[in-house]
Amino acid sequence: MKNSKYILGLLFILGIAFTACDKDDPVIPEEPELITTLNYYLTPVDGGESIIMSFQDLDGDGGNAPIITSATLASNQMYNGRLELLNEVDSPAEDITEEIAEEDEDHQFFFQTDISDLSINYSDEDDNGNPVGLSTTLSTGAAGAGTITITLRHEPSKSEAGVSNGIITNAGGETDIEVTFSVNVE
Amino acid sequence: MWNKIFVHIFLWLFISINVNGQDCEYSVKGYVFDETSQSALAYVNVFIQETQTGTTTDDGGKFILNNVCAGHYHFIISHIGCEDEKFHFDIFKDTIINIGLSHTPTSLGTVIIAGKKNDFYNQANLYVKRNIIEDNSNHNLSGLLENETGVHLIKNGSGISKPVVQGLYGNRLAILNNGVLQSGQQWGNDHSPEIDPFSSDKITVLKGASAIEYGGGNLGSVILSEPKRIEREPHLHGQVNYIFDSNGRGHTLNSRIEKYGSKLAWRINGTLKKSGDKKSADYFLNNTGAEEANFSVQLEKSWNEKFFLDVYGSTFNTRLGILRGSHIGNLTDLEQALTNDVPFFTEPDFSYQIEAPKQQVSHHLLKTKSKYFFTDNNFLEFVIAGQINDRKEFDVRRSGRTDIPSLSLSQYSLNLNLKYEHLFDKEWKLKVGNQHIVTDNTNNPETGILPLIPDYLSYKNGLFSTLSKKMNRTYFNIGLRYDYEQQTVLTISNSVPREIIRFENTFNNFNGLLGIKYEISTAQSIGWNIGYAMRNPAINELYSNGLHQGVSGIEEGDIGLKIEKAIKNTIEYKWVPSSNFAINVLAYHQLFNDYIFLNPQDEIRLTIRGAFPVFKYEQTDANIFGVDVSSQFTISDSFLGLIKYSYLRGTDVTNDQPLIFMPPNSLFGSLTYRAHKSIRLSSKWNLEDVEVEISNRLVFEQTNIFAEQDFIAPPNTYNLVGLKLSTNLLFPHTKLRLFLKADNLFNISYRDYLNRQRYFADDIGISITSGINIKF
Repeated sequence: MKNSKYILGLLFILGIAFTACDKDDPVIPEEPELITTLNYYLTPVDGGESIIMSFQDLDGDGGNAPIITSATLASNQMYNGRLELLNEVDSPAEDITEEIAEEDEDHQFFFQTDISDLSINYSDEDDNGNPVGLSTTLSTGAAGAGTITITLRHEPSKSEAGVSNGIITNAGGETDIEVTFSVNVE
Repeated sequence: MWNKIFVHIFLWLFISINVNGQDCEYSVKGYVFDETSQSALAYVNVFIQETQTGTTTDDGGKFILNNVCAGHYHFIISHIGCEDEKFHFDIFKDTIINIGLSHTPTSLGTVIIAGKKNDFYNQANLYVKRNIIEDNSNHNLSGLLENETGVHLIKNGSGISKPVVQGLYGNRLAILNNGVLQSGQQWGNDHSPEIDPFSSDKITVLKGASAIEYGGGNLGSVILSEPKRIEREPHLHGQVNYIFDSNGRGHTLNSRIEKYGSKLAWRINGTLKKSGDKKSADYFLNNTGAEEANFSVQLEKSWNEKFFLDVYGSTFNTRLGILRGSHIGNLTDLEQALTNDVPFFTEPDFSYQIEAPKQQVSHHLLKTKSKYFFTDNNFLEFVIAGQINDRKEFDVRRSGRTDIPSLSLSQYSLNLNLKYEHLFDKEWKLKVGNQHIVTDNTNNPETGILPLIPDYLSYKNGLFSTLSKKMNRTYFNIGLRYDYEQQTVLTISNSVPREIIRFENTFNNFNGLLGIKYEISTAQSIGWNIGYAMRNPAINELYSNGLHQGVSGIEEGDIGLKIEKAIKNTIEYKWVPSSNFAINVLAYHQLFNDYIFLNPQDEIRLTIRGAFPVFKYEQTDANIFGVDVSSQFTISDSFLGLIKYSYLRGTDVTNDQPLIFMPPNSLFGSLTYRAHKSIRLSSKWNLEDVEVEISNRLVFEQTNIFAEQDFIAPPNTYNLVGLKLSTNLLFPHTKLRLFLKADNLFNISYRDYLNRQRYFADDIGISITSGINIKF
């Protein structure tokens, strides 16, 4: 009985001691996977100044609303498109585009638009000959206005019907990026 | 289901002195009666295991076994509607044994916690006993409670489930493993309680005033999972259980052995489980396998029948796959998933493979309990327990990061409980206690993602006292409880650059309960309970911040939340006119002020991954009203019927709309046939207790919800039929139990409102389970 009383007392003190400790500051995690910025560079095939559409959300999911930069395109023009993904929380900014390029079989960008004469085609492919979408060609027709939605799917079913032609319906997978730009064609 | 019928046996042993000179001419006579109605029970099987001899009681409840030799024997008593009871007895003279069986259904159980005197619980408690645990432990702890009156399950697929009692769950429901409040990430609806059901002999749902002792939630119930004390038997005893489940091709293997040694009593228990992809009626549910490995050690020692010391250690380890098709990116993905009949990533073949998304959880407990009896009527109990809970959740990620958890939490907790119990004369019973709980929760920064739940240190101190008294036909029970909680919370800001923000909170909560039960006659009783309770907001309700992958929504806490208050009234009526019929009706009403709930917002949050629904923790005034009815009846001596009905309605009073995520109404019925006589296979092989049970569970559509409160309409009403065959084979030193059962016999495809994966996939189809249990 005496022993158990000692133990009892000891544990009680332990309990108090435990509570007296202060909680250490948490380690702020590195966020290597975070994508804060998407840039879509469009360079006219027959020369001229590049156009950039960009979506930038520096503080991640919550906090401030993202900054979206839309673009005005010339009518009846052909552009070479290039996508760039960045994590700008880190400085210098980390280039996520390389990660996608390395895992190109598991990723595909989709481009959807409601502008009738505008079309976007893939100009790259992965090791299996399926499109990725980091490089594209964009061609405009008559003047008009509308939106372009760029979606990045992780682990899509690239062999499903229509997927390699850029039709998202049967793609499945999860969405890593989905941003919409309003676009004018003049 | 047959096995959901609960029984309690009280034994009175009388010995008549009539010493006989010859060794093998003793007789064992007895009388078996129903504890509640005091009437004789016919067709009760009485069996002596060592001699392989047995008999059945006559219409007057009497039995006689002649020509019994002197020796140590194990008696097995079994009857329709009752659990088999085994006891050890030495025969050295003619002996008379009177046996009282508590032959009533679950919720009509009388006294559940063994003690020197009956506890004056004045509200029905449910309990699941060992035989049900043995026949169903291919499921997890919550799964065992599924068919109980008033208990529902929140599921996340087939492997993860949490109990809901009278509409309350999560932070409002306390789970005690072996007398210690289970720590861990209980707030998550996609987190199962980390307890091995095989380590338990009895799982109790406490609904009444007795729950105040455990300080659980806000007048929510308390679920106790307890091993029984090691039986005072000098022999080594044990059992082996093996269950095979056709759905998921799941194997469950459990073994336990125990001995009441002269110096120390001990029991060890180990369980291994492995299952693969479950199958709905039409397709495999990809990545829904599970693995589990559990082990526990229980030691008991006593000194002079005054001082008792128990040590209990357990480890629980699991790896659970989450349906691959339920892991979605954003609102667009969700909308697409909702329109798909078959989930994305469905594979044509079965697999045991568990890939991301998955959960990997370990829970370890070490507990010592010391109990000192000053006299027979008062004792002091001290419990100290440490728990480690380690949870890792893995999502499908880029660049090989799938192997890095996207949620990684370690929680340490220390419980110190002190309790004093005193039984005064005239049946006054006083309990006083103090509980300290220290919880240290830390995010491991390996995730590379801002944590959903912050790091925190919380300190809780609770003081309680209950007083109960029996006066003639009336039982009184009064309880008071005070809780103090201090939280130190360290959050990481959403803004750039990231900053650490420190919060200090203190809360004071009061709880009070009053219960009265009146026995109108021996067959009828009525009880009333009223309780007031306060619950401070939990860490997740205050500080959640970010994307909850499991539910694909952005969850935001509110640091301005106030203490939630509630008043709950319960009325219960029991009627047991004979051993052939019993009915129990329980109605409850709980009125909440500042009820905390996760409210879906109109706002859609735009992120680079697209739009996400936003859920915020908010407060409202609410009420929950429900009625549970259960009845048991015998149609003839061989047929036992059981009916259970649960009705529940939750209302958000402030916004004049239904409360979301409340259990739908349900009706359960079963009919069991039991053969009176054993079936003789050969001179040595007898099939005892042959039973056939057919059961039916009807779950109604949740109609008490507005269309705009959810992404899709609640699933339709569904009806599941089950069939079970079981029998026992008795040998001189071994008992073998065999069972075969089918759940969802007609392989219907259905979805359940409380299963979060109903957005993506059907619930599981037919499952045929076979099991073998060997006791020695």
